[in-house]
Amino acid sequence: MTEPNLPGSPEVPEAPAGPYVYDYSASPQRQIVMPKTVPLPSLKTYLAEQEAAAVADEAKWQKMLADFEIAKVKAEAEGKDAPKPPVRPVPRKDDNDMKTPWPQEANDADLHRLQERLGDKVEEIFEQAGELTCQVSKDAILEALQLCRDDAALNYEMLADETATHYPVATNFTFSVVYHLTSISRRKRLRLRILIPEGFSPESACAVYPGANWMEREVYDMLGIRFVNHPDMTRILCPEDWEGYPLRKDYPVVGWGQRDIAFREDRGGMIERIALQKAGQLGINHKQPKAE
Amino acid sequence: MFKNEEMEINLGPQHPSTHGVLRVKLRLDGETITHCRPVIGYLHRGVEKICENQTFFQGQVWTDRMDYCSAVANNLGWAEANEKLFGITVPRRAQYIRTLLNEFNRLASHLIWLATHALDIGAMTVFLYAFREREDILDMNEAFCGSRLTTTAFRIGGLREDLPPGFEKLVKKFLAKFPTCIEEYENLLSENRIWKKRTIGVAKLSAEDAIAMGVTGPVLRAAGVPYDIRKAFPYAAYAEMDFEVPTRTEADTYARYLVRMAEMRQSARIIQQCMDGMPEGPVMAKLPKIMRAEVNEVYHATEAPKGEIGYYLVGEKGSGNPYRFHVRAPGFINLQSLPKMAEGGLIADIVAAIGTLDIVLGEIDR
Amino acid sequence: MPTPTPIQSIVITLIQCLLVVIFVFVVVPLTVFAERKVLGHLQQRLGSTRVASGHVGVTGWMNRGMWKWGRVPVLSYWRGIPGLVADVLKLILKEDILPDKADKFVFFIAPALSMVAAVVVFAAVSFVPGVFFIFPTWFPYVGGLPVSGGIADINVGLLWILGVASVGVYGIVLAGWASNSKYPLLGGLRSAAQMVSYEVPLAISLLAPVVLSASLNFGEMSARMAIGLPFWGLVPQILGFLIYLTCGFAETNRLPFDMPEAENELVAGFHTEYSGMKFGFFYLAEYINMTVVAALASGFFLGGPWLLPFGLQGLVNPFLPAFLSWFGEPHAIFFVVKIIFLLFTYIWVRGTIPRYRYDQVMSVAWKYLIPMALFNLLLAALVRCFAV
Repeated sequence: MTEPNLPGSPEVPEAPAGPYVYDYSASPQRQIVMPKTVPLPSLKTYLAEQEAAAVADEAKWQKMLADFEIAKVKAEAEGKDAPKPPVRPVPRKDDNDMKTPWPQEANDADLHRLQERLGDKVEEIFEQAGELTCQVSKDAILEALQLCRDDAALNYEMLADETATHYPVATNFTFSVVYHLTSISRRKRLRLRILIPEGFSPESACAVYPGANWMEREVYDMLGIRFVNHPDMTRILCPEDWEGYPLRKDYPVVGWGQRDIAFREDRGGMIERIALQKAGQLGINHKQPKAE
Repeated sequence: MFKNEEMEINLGPQHPSTHGVLRVKLRLDGETITHCRPVIGYLHRGVEKICENQTFFQGQVWTDRMDYCSAVANNLGWAEANEKLFGITVPRRAQYIRTLLNEFNRLASHLIWLATHALDIGAMTVFLYAFREREDILDMNEAFCGSRLTTTAFRIGGLREDLPPGFEKLVKKFLAKFPTCIEEYENLLSENRIWKKRTIGVAKLSAEDAIAMGVTGPVLRAAGVPYDIRKAFPYAAYAEMDFEVPTRTEADTYARYLVRMAEMRQSARIIQQCMDGMPEGPVMAKLPKIMRAEVNEVYHATEAPKGEIGYYLVGEKGSGNPYRFHVRAPGFINLQSLPKMAEGGLIADIVAAIGTLDIVLGEIDR
Repeated sequence: MPTPTPIQSIVITLIQCLLVVIFVFVVVPLTVFAERKVLGHLQQRLGSTRVASGHVGVTGWMNRGMWKWGRVPVLSYWRGIPGLVADVLKLILKEDILPDKADKFVFFIAPALSMVAAVVVFAAVSFVPGVFFIFPTWFPYVGGLPVSGGIADINVGLLWILGVASVGVYGIVLAGWASNSKYPLLGGLRSAAQMVSYEVPLAISLLAPVVLSASLNFGEMSARMAIGLPFWGLVPQILGFLIYLTCGFAETNRLPFDMPEAENELVAGFHTEYSGMKFGFFYLAEYINMTVVAALASGFFLGGPWLLPFGLQGLVNPFLPAFLSWFGEPHAIFFVVKIIFLLFTYIWVRGTIPRYRYDQVMSVAWKYLIPMALFNLLLAALVRCFAV
């Protein structure tokens, strides 16, 4: 935003070209900031990252040692004091109550049971922050849900929640759909997860858990994932003619122009005032009257 | 001339008994409902999207505004979900104070439910009696955190401040009179013939249906399923509290009324225990100056007055914002069962059904 | 006492009408105000207190003084009184909206119909037997002439009352239909069914006094019911009173039977589409109807202008000492006090109990009230046959 032309300023603005129109697309809140990483929790990724970090750390340490050797030789050659030998940096010890929960190996019997029953269809099982996660292949979700509900050893009666997340940066998938199951009788929770590419329609969970009806409608409304065999795949929170899917990362916070209401970005009216002033429509005439 | 025509009618979005901007499309045969379809979204503000674009801490004010009748319960779920994401241990005193305030909030929410539900059915006086006690609870909210309704009561890692001086006196005064107040409401309603006629056998939802639809909270407990997250997955200080989970088996509106009334008594009990066993110590965990999330996803559910409120958070490495912020709103899921409850009943029954589900459109539409 | 000429009696009747209309239009706003205050007290609050400004007038000045003094001003309690005027002003000044699709003529005539039906009933109501008062001699044209206790001394007064009162239902039904909207239609249908159903037990419960008093004239009936019955007349009177009062609640659409305008189900029922003074007419008609029902109840069952209800007056009168003889005679004041008590009962009930469901309302009428009313009629007939 440039400085407004105040009455005292020497510049004389141009004559208004037409009715004033605020350029919403230029508004800062309409700018889309895409994420740069794929924050998909996963034990495999975590282990790979740890390994890479350990290798990088080791490489750095080796480089420091090598640098030290070079510096020592150089110092000896120049007759100066020898530099201090390097100390391997240790991770700083945090004196606080925050202990980040990292992904861990699956120890729970339920996850192993799932893996045993579903075989290859289970892509990954792990635990994190005390929660069980089981990632299954995207075609087997209905089977997995059915198993979770009907298997006597699992017995997850209730679908507590179903939602999805958009990962625009990921290469081989675009969305993760998560199902949070609750076993009332066994007092356990389980998370099932599938990864789906753009345009893929997963099987609806309504056949197993009728309560998934509205949750899947919400996922469709917010992220644009259509579910197959859903009884009523319509928008639920947004109007039927709404454009775009608001919870995708490429959707700006204030929307795509369905709601061009000035106060959303311009509550004090200052942006509009400045723009009007620039356009010469505020009633302050900057032009000096000419002699003739 | 004697054609049997069905009439389509819109209950809401502006209607005195839809508790906000709920719209229910009804098809009526005379006054009998043959088809019912709730239409929501009139209060959709995009809370999830907004929270994804704000820091972890800023999300709390939005949770206040979801279910504005039980802001403290929403704050509690939010705070605990974040603490789970970061792996924070909260001091014991903070846990106790949280439990205390959460139970007060449950009372406030149940009172407002009782008030509006009774008003829907036509009992005017209970409305104002219930608001009288709710006022005291809001005063306590004000004493604790300065605001009455949208409390923003907690912080990630504990509380901003300890209980104010003199708070105990307020609690004692309230607890001394509250049992008689409940008796007052029950005198007006429990044995009232008209109240019983209007509620017994109305808006039934069996346990199987309720579980299949994901219905939680008092509606599920009134169907005979003793599922209370405070017992099943204890959080805050509930593991140390001694309380019962009231259940009924009739699964109708009257049973839900009785369950909620019994819950209020249990809440008063928990409050008493919190006050008695309040430990000393700090109320805020030691946290680093800058909090950055790691890659992690959590789903944390707590027992809000309306049912299970769950927060699903995804953290992004090094980011101060949640990558994904999703709320499992109890009202949203519970409202799904409205057609099951209402179809086949009369118009007056759908009013009772909406009242007994205890919905708040702020959390349904988010 | 001079006999009036025909023109003089017409003038007297007109003056009577004026008096009755004034009575009605004084009682109705007072009832509305009393409803707020009484409901307020039932619900442990003050009722309306906010019409008069806290800063103007004598009360405002005293209020401010009391706040400064550190006391909660007691006077603020009465500051809702201007609401009496404000309500009426609001109704008159509001825009009168006519829905596009409404049937214009019927939409216009419906409120008038219910209003007229409600007021006209008073023609047959006798406030006091015989002469109510005598015009002072200085009064122009009709000076020195007597005014009777009722406008029209109809010998089939009860039939007139029942007939005219049941015209009122047309106002509601037509309003519901003419609005051409769904909620009013439902309200109109409900009221049609409900009022027709409740008129049956209402009429039957009123037959008991007819049988007991062997008359249809309002004044005669209330006199015989109050002082002309033996001890056995008590039972059918009390039972009949309870049935009549229940039906009266239903006929006037008050809680627990306010189906036609059940606020939480049908928004506002038959008058959803009405605004301004047309709505005001329905509003007034409801309260006038309440007054009518209260007047009939007090006339037939509560002893009318005599002090004691249920015919107790006739049993007590012989033993009344001479210095208390004022209490043994009829006075209009007793009649009005009874009406006021019954109006209070309306508000009391409204503050206490919830609303019935529509089908339950109908079952109450057909399954319970009608058989009970018939039984009561039988009792009355037996009393008439053996005891009188």
